[in-house]
This record gives sequence, structure tokens and C-alpha cells, in this order.
Amino acid sequence: MKEIFLNIWNVLQRELRRMVSRPLYLTASVGAFLFSMFFFMTLMQRGAAEMMPVAVVDLDQTSISRRLIHEMQATPSVDILLVTSSYQEARQAMQEGRIYGIFVIPSDFYRHLVSFKRPRVDFYMTNAYTVGGNTAYKQMMTMANLVSGAFQREVLRKKGMTDDVIMHRIQPVSIEGHMIANPWGNYMIYLVSIVLPGILGVIALILTVFVVGFELKARTSKEWLNAAGGNYTVAMIGKLLPYTVIYQTLGVVCYMMLFTVAGFPVLGSHWRLLFGLLLFIMAMEMMGIVLIGCMPRLRDALSIGALYSMLGFSLSGFTYPNMGMLPFVRAISWIEPLRHYYLIYVNEALMGAPFINSLPTAMALVAFTIPALFVAPRLHHALKYQNYPIN
Amino acid sequence: MFAHELKRIFSNTGTIVIFFLGSLAYPFLYKAMYWNEQINDIPVAVVDLSCSPESREFLHKWAAAPDVKIAYTCASMVEAEKLLRDQKIHGIIYFPKDYATQLADPFGQAHISLYCDMSSFLYMKGLYMSCNLVMLESMRNVQIDRYQQMGVDREFAWELVQEAPYAERALFSPTGGYGSFLIPAVLVMILHQTLFFGICMLAGAIREEKSELYRIPGRRRGYSAFRTLFGRGAAYFVIYYALAAILLGLLPRLFEIPHIGAIGDILRFNVPFILSVIFFSLCVGFFIRNQEVSIVLLISTSLIFLFIAGISWPKEMIPDGWRYLSYLIPYTWASHGFIHINSMGASLWTTRTEYLALWGLTALYFVTAVLMFIIAGYREERRESRLAALSEADRLSVASDMAVPAES
Repeated sequence: MKEIFLNIWNVLQRELRRMVSRPLYLTASVGAFLFSMFFFMTLMQRGAAEMMPVAVVDLDQTSISRRLIHEMQATPSVDILLVTSSYQEARQAMQEGRIYGIFVIPSDFYRHLVSFKRPRVDFYMTNAYTVGGNTAYKQMMTMANLVSGAFQREVLRKKGMTDDVIMHRIQPVSIEGHMIANPWGNYMIYLVSIVLPGILGVIALILTVFVVGFELKARTSKEWLNAAGGNYTVAMIGKLLPYTVIYQTLGVVCYMMLFTVAGFPVLGSHWRLLFGLLLFIMAMEMMGIVLIGCMPRLRDALSIGALYSMLGFSLSGFTYPNMGMLPFVRAISWIEPLRHYYLIYVNEALMGAPFINSLPTAMALVAFTIPALFVAPRLHHALKYQNYPIN
Repeated sequence: MFAHELKRIFSNTGTIVIFFLGSLAYPFLYKAMYWNEQINDIPVAVVDLSCSPESREFLHKWAAAPDVKIAYTCASMVEAEKLLRDQKIHGIIYFPKDYATQLADPFGQAHISLYCDMSSFLYMKGLYMSCNLVMLESMRNVQIDRYQQMGVDREFAWELVQEAPYAERALFSPTGGYGSFLIPAVLVMILHQTLFFGICMLAGAIREEKSELYRIPGRRRGYSAFRTLFGRGAAYFVIYYALAAILLGLLPRLFEIPHIGAIGDILRFNVPFILSVIFFSLCVGFFIRNQEVSIVLLISTSLIFLFIAGISWPKEMIPDGWRYLSYLIPYTWASHGFIHINSMGASLWTTRTEYLALWGLTALYFVTAVLMFIIAGYREERRESRLAALSEADRLSVASDMAVPAES
């Protein structure tokens, strides 16, 4: 037993020396992660999209329509970039990506209004940009309500009612929206909370492939195995331990930034969330071992690893929920550790759910060890005999 | 140069995987992912304390919306919250006890509470929008009643409460699906990143192998730098122009996502797109010492490029500093330009800003690459001459060493 610890310590020392003598990979990875963190934290200073530029096409060109446009421009949640009398011009502005919606005041607007007929308006939003288009849509709904509200108010005033009485008639039902754990509708919260740990996980996978694969490529694997007293498991533990500590430290730093400095909500336990992060990182390392175990040629394993781990972001379902994916795609998402981390995050941070809810996902992350066990004999063999193509 | 580079591309399994497997398999995976385009039947729970015909009518209308599926009816909020925590449902609608009485009261205002799971924004969007529509509709009936009570005749009341009738129309993508929006941007991203990554990887391989390519005679003179860059660039261009034609020209038609742009415009737009990415990558490649670092680069840049471009997060919301930086990345212009042509039917003239910007980046990175090539050449020369001098000195010192024992 004592010997095992001694060997782990041997390998660990060897790995630390290697880390210091070839610092490029680690510094590149840590640097990339810290830069990503800085990028995403500064990118979305304004977490919710409130106003998107739209165009108003005024086909009516009367004093009433112009007054309406002024009223809209004065509304704080509306951003009118362009007022024009030509629909073509507005459409072109949309194709150039300058506006996200077109609000059309038709040519008979004034005529209808003075004859107490409901005036009609048309509006168009782009679907080529989802967030921009939706925000413009909400904004133009406000503008349309401004039109109909103004109309009702005018008519009722003529009937001799006070504004107070009118309000209750205009809005008899209201919906109170409660956005659980994210009352601000902040897009950044759920995005950054998954993207940053996700990047950390990808780095863990790639560096694992690299540090193991480089021993194979440089033909130093025998020396490594000897330091571990010929024990494969000891060799792996000693090698990956220092890296795991570094990743988890970065994870904690990132976590502190998100949940204490930026004030993202965590309804459940901080410790369980951090533990979930550790399990996620270790699962990614296991997948790294699987890849290099199957493809001992370093660059093949790295290329496949990059393609595999990048898919995790989309498959985890934090932008487009998994329930909308085809069943076979949903099945694929289970082999992405990020999917499981996302579920733990939802349970702990957003739902404050009891531990039992996260248990199956935590077990799933642990289960990523199983395929790593399967490739162990093959990889051990490769480390020992170095019988594989290098280039 | 051209043939040499092609041979390199096809003899490196890493680049074959990235160039061909990556760029051809990824689009199909994304299409499969967003196959349904929309999130339908989001399961919700109902907590109806008013138990009134009005609330039942509301729920009946709401359940008819494609977005929503009423999965549970709960007696209390506690029960519903547990379902939400267990992720059996993604929303709760709550009617308070006084819902019906408030509606009946001519001065009352009735409240409905809607709780949304925020683990994905699409849940909130689906629930909130459909609920709002039902609310507006039932509100109208209440309003008509109230106006009638006030002595307004029914027809006029009906006329009055109609929302200023508006025809809302979604332009360019009738379904408003998530895939229709994201897949065009993803296609451009796949081309951009696989090419970027492949070139960086090969640049790393060249460094590692100290290959011939790095030491062609006469490369230190300017024209040779041109020749080398043109040759290498042409090899990538041939492969990637074909891939871009497939991904951006053919796949939107195959996938039945919106494609109202002229194919000729797309093909013309692809020329500066591919060229700018090639020279951008060749420039970055100068800093790549080996293949593995490029992987870290690929991963950390992909998400940053995607977000900085202002596609999924609107470009109006990107802080200025980042926005200016994004102008240097071909993806920013290419993604917007392609979306404008392909999804919004813009002509090449309408997309001239993006088109010209891509040519500008092509020129910028080409000149930079030539300069870097020349500088690298001089450095190499200096190092070689220093090495030569050093080995000369070595030989001399060895000779003198040899001479010493001979004397003694």
C-alpha cells in the first residue's frame, strides 16, 4: 500500500517536472480559459436584450400618423432607427441587417381614425435573427397597443369617461410572469454558467489526450510506467492528479466570479455544484483516456476529441432543449458529460432541488469511467511496448 | 507549391478528419438536432384555486396552443413546485381564488401567475407568448361585457375592443424555427473553424517536421513569398471552395431551411469568404509551434467567434471594444453576409458592406502573411549564419583542443 503511494508520488513529481519544462500547453490552456472568462463576463454587460432598432414606414403621411410616430419615439422601450415612406427602403435596411422589424402605418390610417373605424397597422419582424427579431416583435406589439389604446381612449373620452375608469376597462386581466431563479430574464446567466465550465471540460479532455499521447509520441511512456512501478492505474492517477487540481482551481475561480461577484443565483448547495463540476472534469478526462486509448496517434485523437467535445455545447440542451431533438440525437447527448453537468446545474442552481434529484446524473458522470476501463488493457500495452504508428 | 500542399493535406490524417469528416458530418448532426425546429408540448402544471368556468375556459384555450401540454393538475403550489423541481414540468400556471370574482367586478382586475423554468429561454418564450395570446383574447370578451354594462351597444363594443387589428408577419422564415435561424450561422462557422483549424494544424506540422516547405531556396526574396502563399492558398481554396458550395449552396436546399438567395450571389460571396479565412489562418499559423496548440486555439476561439459576431446575441448588444475586434474576424462578416443573402434574399449589392469587408480582410491578411514570411525568412537566415559561425568556431576550438594534446 505504502509502495503505491510512493509510486504515485514518483509519477506526480515527474509530471510536475515535465509541466515546468514544457509550460506551453498548460499556459496556453489556462490562458485560453481565463481569456474566455474575461470575454464572456464583459460581453454581456447588459444581460437582457431590451431594444432593437426597427423602421416605421409611414404610408399615411398625415399629421396624425406623424404624431403617433413621435409618441412611439418618446416611448423608452422603443428604438426607431428609420422613418420612411417607402416599404422597399425599410426592407432593404432589414436585408442589410440594420433593423429587425418594420412597422407599417397604412395610407388609410387617418381616414379610418376620423370616421371612428379601427385603424389597422401591419408589422413585420425578421426571423433570420431570433433574439433580435423577438425583441423587435415585443417592441412592435407595444407600438400596436399604443395605437389601439390611443384609439379606445379617444372614443371613450368622447363618451365622457375619466382616464381612471378607462384603464380598468382596457386591462381587466393581467399576467404576472415569474421567471424562476432568473427574475431579470437575463440571457447571460444560463449561457455563461454552462459555457465556461464547458470550456474548462474541453480543455481537460484535450490536455488529457495530449499529456498521455505525448508520452507515446515522444516514446517516453516506458519511463513513465517505470516511475509508477509498472502499475498502469498508478501511472494514470499520478499523471492526471496535478492537472485535475489545476482545473478544479480554475473552476472554483470561475464559480466565484459567476456566483459571488456577478451575483448569479444558486438556490441549492454550492458544495454540491462544485462537486458536480469536479465529477464533470473527471468524466472529460476519462473520455480523453478513451480517445487516446482507441487512437494512439496523437493528432487523430486530438482531432476527434475536438469534434466530440465541441458538440457537447449544443447537445447539452441549454439553448435548444433536448425535448425538441430527435430521439437518436437525444441518445447521443447522453455520451456528452456536459449534458449531465447541465442537469446538475439546473437542479442545484435554478431549482434548489434535493440531492436525490442530482444523484442519477452524478452516477452517470461516474459511469464515464467504464469505457476508460475498457481501453485500459490496450493503452497499457501501447505504453509498455510502444508498438503503434507515430506519424 | 500547390501540388505539394495538396499532398500534405491528404497525407495528414488529422487534417483529413477535420476538413472532410468535420465539415461534412457536422451539418447533418446539427440538422438532426434542430429537426423539430420548435419546442412543442412543453409540460406544465395547473394550480386553479378559483375552480371557475372562466379559468377552465382559459385553460382550454391555452391547452390548444401547440407550445403547451397540460400534464398535471395540482391542488396546491407546493405540489406543483415539487413537480417542477423534479423536472417533470417546465412551467406552472396559477389562478388565485378571486379570479372569477375580479372578472365579474366591473372595476376589478384579475391576476394570473405564470412560473417559468429558466433552464432554457425557449421554455419561457413558448409559455409566455402563448399565455399572453389567450389572455388578450379572453380579455376582449370581458371588455365587451363591461362596455355593454355601461350602455355601449354590443357591436360597437366589439369594434372597440378589437386590438388595433394588425397583421403581424414573420419575414423570411415562416416557421420561425430555431434551426432555420441557427443552421445558416452554424454552416458558416463549420467552414470557418475547420479551415482555420486545419491550416493551423498543418502549420504546426511544418514547424515540427522542419519540412522542406520551410526551406525552399530563394524564399527570402519577396516574389518567392508570394509564390509560396499563392500556391498554398490555392490548394486550400480549391478544396474549400468546393466544400463551401456544398455547405452553403446545396445543404440549405437539402435541409429545407430558408434559402431565398440567388445561388450565383452565394457562390460569388464565397470567394472572398474562403480567401480571407485562408490568409487569416496562415497569419495565425505563423505563431503555431506545433499541432496540438492549434486544438486549444480552435476550441477557445469557436465560441468566442460565434458570440462576438452578434448572431445569437444581437450585434447591437456587443460592447464597442469587442465589436471593433470582431471586425477583424472573417466569420463576423461572412455569417451576417450569408444570412442576409441566403435567409433574407438580399442581393450581392445589398450585402456589399460584408462583401467588400471580406475582400479587405483578404488583402490585409495576405499582406501581413507576406510580411511575416519575409521576416521569418530573415530570422532564419540570421540564425543559420549564426549557427554557421558557431560551428566554424566549434571546429576551430575542437581543432585547437586536438592540437593541445598533440603538442603535449
